[in-house]
Amino acid sequence: MLSACPPVRLSAQDSQFGIRGLGTPGRFETVRVRSTGGAFGPFDALSPLTEASLGDLQGLAATAMGGTSYRDVDAAAGATTSLRATRFPVMVLAGPVFGRLVLSGGFTTYLDRTWDVTLRDSLLVRGTMLPYVDELSSDGGVTDLRFAAAWRVSRRLALGAAVHVLSGSTREAAARTFDDTTYHALKQSDETRYDGLGVSGSLLIDPLPELRLSLFARSDNRLRARLGDVVTAQTDLPNTFGGGLRWAPSPSVRLAGTVTRRTWADAGPGAFNTVNWSAGLEVGAGFSPLRVGVRGGQLPFGPGATAATEVGFAAGTGRAFARGRAIVDGSLEHLRRTGAGLSERVWSFLLGFTVRP
Amino acid sequence: MRAQRVAWLAAVLAGCVDRATAPGVCPTFCPSGRIDVVDTVLAASIGRDSTFRGYVLPFQAVAMTASDVPGAVDSRVVFVTQALPASVALNTADTTTSPLVGSDSAKITLTVTRRDTSAHDQTLRLYGLPVTIDSNTTFADVQGAFAGAPLRTVNLDSLLAKPNGVDVTTGDSAGIDTTSKQLKVTIKLDSLQAPYVVGDTGKLGIGVRVGGAGPTSIAFCSRENACGATVAWYIKVDSIKGTDTTLIHKPFPRGSIFDTFLFDPPPAPPDSTLAVGGAPSARSIMRITLPRAIRDSSQIVRATLLLVPAVPARGAPVDSFVVEAHTVAADFGAKSPLVLDATRTDTTTIHVGATDTLRVEVTNLVQFWAADSTRPEVLMLRSQVEAAQPTEIRFYPSAATLFRPALRITYARRFPFGQP
Repeated sequence: MLSACPPVRLSAQDSQFGIRGLGTPGRFETVRVRSTGGAFGPFDALSPLTEASLGDLQGLAATAMGGTSYRDVDAAAGATTSLRATRFPVMVLAGPVFGRLVLSGGFTTYLDRTWDVTLRDSLLVRGTMLPYVDELSSDGGVTDLRFAAAWRVSRRLALGAAVHVLSGSTREAAARTFDDTTYHALKQSDETRYDGLGVSGSLLIDPLPELRLSLFARSDNRLRARLGDVVTAQTDLPNTFGGGLRWAPSPSVRLAGTVTRRTWADAGPGAFNTVNWSAGLEVGAGFSPLRVGVRGGQLPFGPGATAATEVGFAAGTGRAFARGRAIVDGSLEHLRRTGAGLSERVWSFLLGFTVRP
Repeated sequence: MRAQRVAWLAAVLAGCVDRATAPGVCPTFCPSGRIDVVDTVLAASIGRDSTFRGYVLPFQAVAMTASDVPGAVDSRVVFVTQALPASVALNTADTTTSPLVGSDSAKITLTVTRRDTSAHDQTLRLYGLPVTIDSNTTFADVQGAFAGAPLRTVNLDSLLAKPNGVDVTTGDSAGIDTTSKQLKVTIKLDSLQAPYVVGDTGKLGIGVRVGGAGPTSIAFCSRENACGATVAWYIKVDSIKGTDTTLIHKPFPRGSIFDTFLFDPPPAPPDSTLAVGGAPSARSIMRITLPRAIRDSSQIVRATLLLVPAVPARGAPVDSFVVEAHTVAADFGAKSPLVLDATRTDTTTIHVGATDTLRVEVTNLVQFWAADSTRPEVLMLRSQVEAAQPTEIRFYPSAATLFRPALRITYARRFPFGQP
């Protein structure tokens, strides 16, 4: 199904709340983690959220995911618009190289900046009101290219660190069509390129055999936007702090919870610091586990005095083939975002492939 | 099973197609950037303007106008038909020819390209003219020939009202030609009205005046447009049987070798104004200097050339004409070659008698200049059908500070891309 989908855009789930800000932040999660609401993110070796979890990898592994989102946008005026998007937000390759050292490389969507809005308005030109339709669009985003390393220090401690290169571009267009065709339609477009840099670190501690604690932090410097060689904007990026706890009361049952705080308010007016939480359950240690989870938190961009909120639930499963060397994960996720003057309902179908040759 | 696979594949592919366009909830959920449209009048951007006359002469025009507007213009069409041979073969198998000794009748056909349908009792009057008329002939030269009684007078409205447009009494007819879709008027002349004059080798000089219940005008197609006046002779030849003559019943067609129109008063001499139209045709050239900010960094939405008439266009009300605005391939003044491209030509209609500010939409041209900075920003105004009618318009030039030509431009500034 992934190979059948032609648009290869490194983007995550869009949101109208990201139009006025830097965009919609991506999720550093594989399908397995998305199925648990993101709760297992700090503990999943192939999820790009943390690095220390790479220390658990025994061999070379690669994963990729894709998904289609169906989004209904409810404006305060009562109008509902149905939107659809297909994305391929994560690809990771990782494997041990020297004993306990594991290296990883891959990409994730950092910010999605794909949107297309139409406006109906009029303006006074040459003494008459001139109705027109505007279409403003942006297609693309910022990708996080991650180079990570993890070291299993001991049976109870693993450390990890990564360098993040932020890179990407958006094809932006602005078009206006006047009702009066005496005024020619106009269309302008340009390509904006983005760059930035970040570092991250994390650790995994196992205080008890069935309990695992994860702490992680990340700092991104700034996002620079360029048109050609001209820097048009430079925006501070957030620092990220988080922690997670995983409890495995039996080999076939695992519970996890994660909290993440990101200082998006550094990005300027209209941006908010966010705290996001998630809790999830994974049942089954065999080839077909069942996963459920819930998540909640805030969105970094939006109008009003407070940040828009997001809640959702997810469920999914996986299927291993070839004695566990190939895994297919599927997930169904529902989100509801609410902010001043707008709400969104999103259904996402996610599919992931993991290969362990 | 196969149908299920097809349905599954269709569902997969449908899911791959993004649907991203949504109505904007502005300003809270819209991009911060806006399309900024500006409207401005560039009063001082037009300069170094002048008028040149003589591009097309009346006898080179694709149409000829006959007008009768007392106090404004009196215009008449004149033409000379081709000569007849001295003798013709009576039958196709004949090896000998018989000399022409006279005419029985002739039918003159005129193609009307434009007619004053609002005029009542529009009449055409045909006059005999000397066959020596040429491009040097003036209105005064043929005044005497037009002073006499006309050869024929035909009421167009009456003729068109007859069944099939045919007057069985006079032999005249009028109707729409199925090929050209133009009105063709055929007027029959007898042997006295269209005599065969050996000295003129059968040429006919004909003048046409138009009249009506009020001021009126009509335009005929010219030989330059391959639809000039024609004459179909019915001739008499010496049968070489004593003194008897034989009438050739089949028409003997002849075209015209010269046609033009003459009018009074003649065109006003050039002055400081900008003239467009008339016969010989006049063109006006204008050099435009677009501000670099507009030319290089904006998108032209609409551009209108504003021209203030110095005098109203004179002529029959029906003689409205179209003025074209062209750009030029290179600026060589009067001899600047026009860029004849329909997508880079803007037009407007000049109404006779109007004194309102004339607005010519020149958006195509200004966009053309903005797209290619190597193009000269030169505007040439000319009549769409040059020298086909005496009507012309005169505008104030850039030297007239209060009424100078101006360019009104509506443009969009560069959109602020690259802003969060």
